[in-house]
Amino acid sequence: MTTANVYQQRPDSGAKAESSLHHANLAGLIAKGRKNPGVTVREKKLLGHLTLRGDAKDPAFAEGVHKALGLELPVALSLVANAETSLQWMGPDEWLLIVPGGQEFAVEQALRAALAGLHISVVNVSGGQQLLELSGPKVREVLMKSTSYDVHPDNFPVGKAVGTVFAKSQLVIRHTAEDTWELLIRRSFSDYWWLWLQDAAAEYGLSVEA
Amino acid sequence: MSQTHRLPNGGRVDRTKVLSFTFNGQQYKGYEGDSLAAALLANGVDVIGRSFKYSRPRGIYAAGAEEPNAVLQIGATEATQIPNVRATQQALYQGLVATSTNGWPNVNNDVMGILGKVGGKLMPPGFYYKTFMYPQSFWMTYEKYIRKAAGLGRSPTQNDPDTYDYMNHHCDVLIVGAGPAGLAAALAAGRSGARVIIADEQEEFGGSLLDSRESLDGKSAMEWVAKVIAELKTLPDVILLPRATVNGYHDHNFLTIHERLTDHLGDRAPIGQVRQRIHRVRAKRVVLATGACERPLVYGNNDVPGNMLAGAVSTYVRRYGVAPGKKLVLSTNNDHAYRVALDWLDAGQQVVAVADARSNPRGSLVEEARAKGIRILTGSAVIEARGSKHVTGARVAAIDVKALSVASPGEWLECDLLATSGGYSPVVHLASHLGGKPTWREDILGFVPGEAPQKRVCVGGINGVYPLGDSLADGFEGGVRAACEAGFKAVEGVLPKALNQLQEPTLALFHVPHEKGTARAPKQFVDLQNDVTAAAIELATREGFESVEHVKRYTALGFGTDQGKLGNVNGLAIAARSLNVTIPQMGTTMFRPNYTPVTFGAVAGRHCGHIFEPVRYTALQAWHVKQGAEFEDVGQWKRPWYFPRNGEDMHAAVKRECQAVRDSVGILDASTLGKIDIQGPDAREFLNRIYTNAWTKLDVGKARYGLMCKEDGMVFDDGVTACLADNHFVMTTTTGGAARVLQWLEIYQQTEWPELKVYFTSVTDHYATLTLSGPNSRKLLSEVTDIDLDREAFPFMTWKEGLVGGVPARVFRISFTGELSYEVNIQADYAMGVLEKIVGAGKQYNLTPYGTETMHVLRAEKGFIIVGQDTDGSMTPDDLNMGWCVGRTKPFSWIGWRGMNREDCVREQRKQLVGLKPLNPTQWLPEGAQLVFDAKQAIPMTMVGHVTSSYAHNSLGYSFAMGVVKGGLKRIGERVFSPQADGSVIEAEIVSSVFFDPKGERQNI
Repeated sequence: MTTANVYQQRPDSGAKAESSLHHANLAGLIAKGRKNPGVTVREKKLLGHLTLRGDAKDPAFAEGVHKALGLELPVALSLVANAETSLQWMGPDEWLLIVPGGQEFAVEQALRAALAGLHISVVNVSGGQQLLELSGPKVREVLMKSTSYDVHPDNFPVGKAVGTVFAKSQLVIRHTAEDTWELLIRRSFSDYWWLWLQDAAAEYGLSVEA
Repeated sequence: MSQTHRLPNGGRVDRTKVLSFTFNGQQYKGYEGDSLAAALLANGVDVIGRSFKYSRPRGIYAAGAEEPNAVLQIGATEATQIPNVRATQQALYQGLVATSTNGWPNVNNDVMGILGKVGGKLMPPGFYYKTFMYPQSFWMTYEKYIRKAAGLGRSPTQNDPDTYDYMNHHCDVLIVGAGPAGLAAALAAGRSGARVIIADEQEEFGGSLLDSRESLDGKSAMEWVAKVIAELKTLPDVILLPRATVNGYHDHNFLTIHERLTDHLGDRAPIGQVRQRIHRVRAKRVVLATGACERPLVYGNNDVPGNMLAGAVSTYVRRYGVAPGKKLVLSTNNDHAYRVALDWLDAGQQVVAVADARSNPRGSLVEEARAKGIRILTGSAVIEARGSKHVTGARVAAIDVKALSVASPGEWLECDLLATSGGYSPVVHLASHLGGKPTWREDILGFVPGEAPQKRVCVGGINGVYPLGDSLADGFEGGVRAACEAGFKAVEGVLPKALNQLQEPTLALFHVPHEKGTARAPKQFVDLQNDVTAAAIELATREGFESVEHVKRYTALGFGTDQGKLGNVNGLAIAARSLNVTIPQMGTTMFRPNYTPVTFGAVAGRHCGHIFEPVRYTALQAWHVKQGAEFEDVGQWKRPWYFPRNGEDMHAAVKRECQAVRDSVGILDASTLGKIDIQGPDAREFLNRIYTNAWTKLDVGKARYGLMCKEDGMVFDDGVTACLADNHFVMTTTTGGAARVLQWLEIYQQTEWPELKVYFTSVTDHYATLTLSGPNSRKLLSEVTDIDLDREAFPFMTWKEGLVGGVPARVFRISFTGELSYEVNIQADYAMGVLEKIVGAGKQYNLTPYGTETMHVLRAEKGFIIVGQDTDGSMTPDDLNMGWCVGRTKPFSWIGWRGMNREDCVREQRKQLVGLKPLNPTQWLPEGAQLVFDAKQAIPMTMVGHVTSSYAHNSLGYSFAMGVVKGGLKRIGERVFSPQADGSVIEAEIVSSVFFDPKGERQNI
């Protein structure tokens, strides 16, 4: 009996890959923005995204996750990271694991092996979402224009991550370094977010980084 | 000749920066730092507009938000027009263009002016109600006339070129007002480390200190202000917002601030800058330091230009270096107003006299005036002014305040400026927005904030704390309190010393008597903006209006943009006296947000234009655009609607697309359909309970169509769910229902069946879905895949994994067209490449992209429902003739089973879904059209159903429809009629809803 259907979803190299902002041609905008921009945006695209579900109260689950990933389960509203791998609390029984693109299949298999026998779920959602990294001295202002959540460092320190209202939709905000934040955006909303961010950052100067 | 009324020196203006502007087409010059009102006064402009009702000439009366007359239209171009701007609050900039809103064709020569007196008599209070409301249908006509005559300003007819936005804030302490009390509060709160926002509506911080004679620690008060601002700027968590009006105080200490970032810079915002911003602030504590507003005395002809609030005179002299006249008469009932006479004297102008209603005033300022030789007429008041377009004299007479009568004939004093002060009204607007009724304080003759419905502190003038030293102390203490209540430690602070002055009480005088009596005396205005006189208020009370709210509505007192800033207390006092009650018995009217008008641009913020609403796209959007698709909105998604070729209209394109699918192969972007990954040992049981049909026996590798009902047994979503592994399923939902269904699953799992071990995860965005449909779809797909497509190896309602276009894919053999179909799911990042490979291979098969319209037609030909189009939340599976999809023997009572077995749901004659075939094959039954059995029945006819889907252009060659008809399934072969709005009747035959391939052979080939 197979409990879940897991398959390699990413093609061998050479296949044409388009992130959800492919049409916006961000690469073509690199170094074309204002000097000393208030906000710099970087697309962190084509990474492996896995949604992990399980029982946080079950020590076997936490141990299994640690065994497979080398990461402790993050507590509510936070994320832990190790090099290019990050694990974020999304809800009482839900985490988002982001790994370098192409590793998601192997990582899912490792997770499933380590968690065998437990009631869990691992779902590859790599094609459905991506990160936009915003950095610079004016990112906080752009966030304040967009969300009613309090993004002051007293309330939103580095390492915190929340899903919240943003403009007229929702996304996840991750605070990764003092002036660096990440937005986790859904593929179908990407164009809206890109338009929104360009608009909100216009007065501070926006530049694109590779 | 320019700036005739500019004083040789003084003021906070920069005389090296000359700015030119136009008012009513005339060029003028002013200085940087001027308000528009100050610049107009500097140029000797008297008449600024005509009054609302009587068309009397009006001039600038005040210097701040309370200005009733100088409400102007601003804008150099059509696109930048702004109505309702107070000249007193508009900073002067180079090239400013302002026009009067009242008075046509111009304010000095008003055609209405001649009619003014007559017009006035024709317009008693209650005029609108008495005259214009009947007949009601004429209201629109009247309104046009009134608006033109009254001139309430106009909105631009072109798009505003500027940007407006919102910003959200959270702070520990929000301080409203940056006068002495507010600044002291900000110091206290800021030093404690709290997150502080201090907002002030004026161009610069300082409040009353901007034009004060008083000193602090022996130095100019503004030196202290500058020091405070400098300190606040060093505190990282203090935000200073000048030009920012706190307009609304809402529930849960949520306040809205309207900041004008660039209104002082020009007609348009500099490129790249935001013009106005609404700050949405959630504050732990609020400190209201809104100060007090001077109120005028009410006397005859108190509206002629040259009458002015006393404090405004000081503002113009001291802050702007402008003297709005030469010879001043001051009428007062309090000490503080004497500063005006002293300022006037200091400016080298002539003080004709001060009329003080009190019999023996001895306060410090009074004595100072006396010592300087100013003539003081005690026990007296100005009872009327003289002049038409400008004041030429004031009659001062002895008055008996108790009897409210004139005690002497008095004397006419020649003057060109008549300053008036009737005391001070704390600005309680914000404190009252949430309903806390203000309390009358007899000692200060003003309303102060009543009970606090929110966590707030009031400091300074709003509390009736007027002396500067006291106000600073009150502010600091309030700031400490607010910060402590927000969780911070109190700080010490040394406040500067103000001079101690003896200040005697204000005399309770509001309406100055006239020997002729109120009704016959020259007009005594209470509310200048709405042209409400003392006589009108008395008339209202005589006509039986006793509640203050009724008096307000009958007379228009405190209406509109004014919101009772100047006239409220005087109006209440007059009504109270007339009704023989006290002012607190009379009470106040309700104060509502906004405190001052907010532009529509600011209200809209960025929710306009291309970012008005989120638009969702699939991974293939760029390709659709390249193919020339027309798009349809499906929820927030843009879906290709149809792909016109060579100028085709929709009907032609849809007919061609339908034919291509039936004859060869078409391709549809089905990525928008909701997809939910379901994992867990109880996944199958969960499906049994959530769907109407059975899932126990669905093998791995197979897929099944499912219907979902709400508890009431009514269909609410449908879709195909496939078994991927024993504990693993993927469910599809309708495009519009995706979020709703996921929520539905979560609610049931979390609240009703938490014992079921199952997890749900949306994969809608993860997968792109390409549907190949048509008899040639197998041949086409076989060219780009390694999957064995043999009909035995890969039968209908199963799925396979393999490479499509070199990309790993899950392919489902399911069909919504009735044709041989494959739905190819790939990680969305790779969808475009796969699509291109399929399209490349598809040329030889005339592969045709089709959109949602063709999809709708093709599924309807097969009788497949669309939830939300053919259902409306009142249809059971049996109503849809889908009883085959109901698991009647499932052991667990699944959702909807009980509901659909209620008596009403199983009765005969329910509306049932059937096919409808118009007898005339070219006639199209409009969707939504009602159906009757008897076309000849008199109105009201017995309606027996309606059309749900209808298509004239399709692959069948005749018009057909689906619809619901009472007892329709037993009426196959009978006729129904659809009477149309134009009187014609469409006759149709009730048929099976499956029009095409009734045996379902084509999808199985």
